[in-house]
Amino acid sequence: MTVYLTELLEQLTCPPGVSGNETPIAQKAKSLLVPLCDSVEISQGNVIGTLGKRKAGKPHVLLDAHMDQIGFLVTAITEDGFVRVGNTGGLDLRLMPAQRVMLHGTKDIPGVICCVPPHLHNGTEHVFSITELAIDTGYTKEQLKQWIAPGDSVSFDTPFHTLTDGKVTGPSLDDRCGMAAILLAMKQVQNETLPCSVSLLFSTQEELGERGATIAAYTIDPDIALAVDVTFALGHGDNPVKCGKLGGGPMIGISPSLSPAVSNLLITAAKEESIPWQPEVMSGITGTNADCFSVTRGGVCAGTVSIPLRYMHTPSELIQLSDVEQTGQLLAAYLRRCVSC
Amino acid sequence: MLKHFETLCGLCAVSGDETAVRDYIIDVLKEIPSVSWQIDPLGSLIVQKKGKNPAPHKLMISAHMDEVGMIITYVNSDGTLCVSPVGGVDASVVIGRQVLVGKDHIHGVIGTKPVHLLSQEEKESLPKFSKLVLDIGAKNGEDAKKLVFPGDRVYFLPDFRMMGGNRVCSKAIDDRAGCAILLKLLEQTPPYDFTAAFLVQEEIGLRGAKAAAYSIDPDFAIVLEATTAADLAGAEGDEKVCTLGGGPVVSFMDRSTMYDRELYTMAFDLCRKHDIPCQTKSRIAGGNDSGAIHVSRNGVRTLAISLPCRYLHTPSSVADLTDLEACVRLTSLLAEQIMEKE
Repeated sequence: MTVYLTELLEQLTCPPGVSGNETPIAQKAKSLLVPLCDSVEISQGNVIGTLGKRKAGKPHVLLDAHMDQIGFLVTAITEDGFVRVGNTGGLDLRLMPAQRVMLHGTKDIPGVICCVPPHLHNGTEHVFSITELAIDTGYTKEQLKQWIAPGDSVSFDTPFHTLTDGKVTGPSLDDRCGMAAILLAMKQVQNETLPCSVSLLFSTQEELGERGATIAAYTIDPDIALAVDVTFALGHGDNPVKCGKLGGGPMIGISPSLSPAVSNLLITAAKEESIPWQPEVMSGITGTNADCFSVTRGGVCAGTVSIPLRYMHTPSELIQLSDVEQTGQLLAAYLRRCVSC
Repeated sequence: MLKHFETLCGLCAVSGDETAVRDYIIDVLKEIPSVSWQIDPLGSLIVQKKGKNPAPHKLMISAHMDEVGMIITYVNSDGTLCVSPVGGVDASVVIGRQVLVGKDHIHGVIGTKPVHLLSQEEKESLPKFSKLVLDIGAKNGEDAKKLVFPGDRVYFLPDFRMMGGNRVCSKAIDDRAGCAILLKLLEQTPPYDFTAAFLVQEEIGLRGAKAAAYSIDPDFAIVLEATTAADLAGAEGDEKVCTLGGGPVVSFMDRSTMYDRELYTMAFDLCRKHDIPCQTKSRIAGGNDSGAIHVSRNGVRTLAISLPCRYLHTPSSVADLTDLEACVRLTSLLAEQIMEKE
């Protein structure tokens, strides 16, 4: 399982999919879903798979993970050949100097984010704002214009890699690991008769405000919707109240904005199938696609299942494989005993 | 030469443990005629190269083998590791990045509190090493100590990559570029004998150079280096310091050395005569092994020939291969001219 999951995550973190430019990861996602679903389509950029016939009296459940990742968009090419960018999603600008990136134009162009080395510091060093950042590709403006134009996306160019103790690191594990958990769940229920029909959604533009999920949920019109995303895992010096434990299993969301029936059934499912889990208590909205699911059309029962992740929104996000595996088990366990809210 | 350069850049040798680079160079030397070598007590590799003629003046050409990086100072009970920089490294070029730890190259990441949980003040403050931890994924301190130990070096991730415009991006171009140039010179048959010195501990204060220059006791020295180019977006005139593609950098002065005026002029004259691009630095900044070598014993007449390099001391330095070739040409011409001096 570990080898399978590691390979799956490597496949999922490889294609770029900066918010609004998710086509490469969408193609990959579709190819992975096809063998597990009755039908798969790409609609307005969202990848939607369906399993089972929708019937009155049987709940229709939506499982969602977002495909998009944080990154940049090209805004301009300067006269001296550097590329100016805007941010797509919440970036930590402190870690940009000398960061490796890939520009996705008509072809992929590697680049480095400019910085001033310590030898030339003059006491005015500061964290660059997004408009001060520039990307060096080695090319002149004229050369670059052949392949790169404003609006093209730029992603971190950092490899996926395994660490010790069943952990892995890489960019875009937020939320490619959520996609992996859903794929694992689908594998588990392949030959089972479920008490529900299921739609699988790999959504776009979560990092820009849950936009892909908003339109997809309207189209799918589910009774119950689960957002499978990542949440903060406790790191050195972090506040344990705000974070989950890496390796502690999936976190089940409990919040005034979520359906208590969904949260409770997730907890029951975890207990009955002996899957480790952790509570994630939030006091209002969840910051995930569940926020838009609950207010879709006339209202949907929403829940969250979150995978603890360290160093969120850096190019070196870190997760524990067992948490992804158990998230997959929990989703399958939930589908097996799913009832209408 | 590109092969040596690429391989050398991919090796991990933070100051004080330059073994990986030294071993590679020795392997190359075994295939080269007319060389003999020894390793000094600090670890510098001193190579005697026989030329077509005995040398009228004793010339030392040096490059340093070490690179900047980090060192593990403490293993926390939660399995994370505290690190300090070795050489001049800004914390902003390591946070959120993958690194390698120790001889076994254990993979890790330099973690940071996620941006969502930072206060506005924290978001706008430059990161500090004291606030960063290295995370190899270990469950706890006990498990971490089975894999790493205080004193282990931490390396930027080796990732040598070609970029646009005949450029390369890598860690450790400072000073594997110098090592590659020096190897290239050793592979050729020079007109006169010279001593090649692959030095240790430049990044923590020119320490290998001090000991080696004493032992070698040269009359003249050429230091091969990588120097900082700031020809960045919007930089004008002297702000650029030096530019990629502008040829070897020959400085008149930096923070460590007032260079030999005659050698300085000689270098520019040679470049003019042989149509090699050449530039000087428009800011008095930085320093290199010349600082230790030129004041060795009763003084050594010294010049540095440097490869212009952007983003020095980061995992992603950028240099131009045409400049590297030009550095080789200038160095061999200058070495010959020095020998033929009265």
